[in-house]
Amino acid sequence: MARRKYENPQLDMTPMIDVVFELIIFFVVTIKQEDLFSKLNANRPAPNDQQTQQDVVDTTIKIQIGPGGMVYNGRGVTVKELDRNIKQAAAIDKKTTVLLQCTLNSPHKFLVDALDTCAKYGLKNLSIFSM
Amino acid sequence: MAKKCSENPQLDMTPMIDVVFELIIFFVVTLKMAVEKDETVQLEDGKHGIELTAEELPPSHLVIDIAKSGRISMCNFTITPNEIRQRVRDRKRKFGSEFPVLIRADYRTQHRYVKEVMDACTVEGVWKLSFVAVYDRKSGKQLTK
Repeated sequence: MARRKYENPQLDMTPMIDVVFELIIFFVVTIKQEDLFSKLNANRPAPNDQQTQQDVVDTTIKIQIGPGGMVYNGRGVTVKELDRNIKQAAAIDKKTTVLLQCTLNSPHKFLVDALDTCAKYGLKNLSIFSM
Repeated sequence: MAKKCSENPQLDMTPMIDVVFELIIFFVVTLKMAVEKDETVQLEDGKHGIELTAEELPPSHLVIDIAKSGRISMCNFTITPNEIRQRVRDRKRKFGSEFPVLIRADYRTQHRYVKEVMDACTVEGVWKLSFVAVYDRKSGKQLTK
């Protein structure tokens, strides 16, 4: 029996179509859009490091985070108001230390919101305290 | 020629190659799906943080997950704060104190659990911590209450 390719000189497209379909299916399955993540840096002073807290308390921004919301330098604020306040503070000095005091029962959401707002205006000295 | 098999002595490799490719694709797809993190953790938006790229995640990095319920885990294995301390100590011995510690805490979790993790790190002398947030919700998944 002579070899097939001499009998039928036409190119057989079937395997190529198979492979192309395979590739299409492969990409359809694998291209799944993933969320992009970011990281928000913060410092965590050692537990019971009251000394540091006392030293810097006058020259800093203090954000208290409770179960219901945030308090900026003694005034209750929404995320929008916090944004405005931090913008003003950052315009004066980007090196200002921001103290974030979280109560134990506060949701993590507020801490991330506050850290994100600080990151937005380039504040880098962020310290997290727990109460 | 009498025997049928000696008519065409060449072995047709095509189906075998097909199957092998199929298997390769199968494993590539399934291995990516291996669970290395707590899938229940939902992260808050953090559009202004530093985007997490491969360079931001050297081999020395440590990811700690905190679920809504307060379950603390690494690579989807539940661990205690003492075990975190041990891991941090090991990393410190290997890489020095400059390695990224990433905390993936659910946006609904209470600060007390985050505190436990942070305290475990600071006790071992790691002060710089990072919280993971969502930079861009490309998958379209939204936060659920």
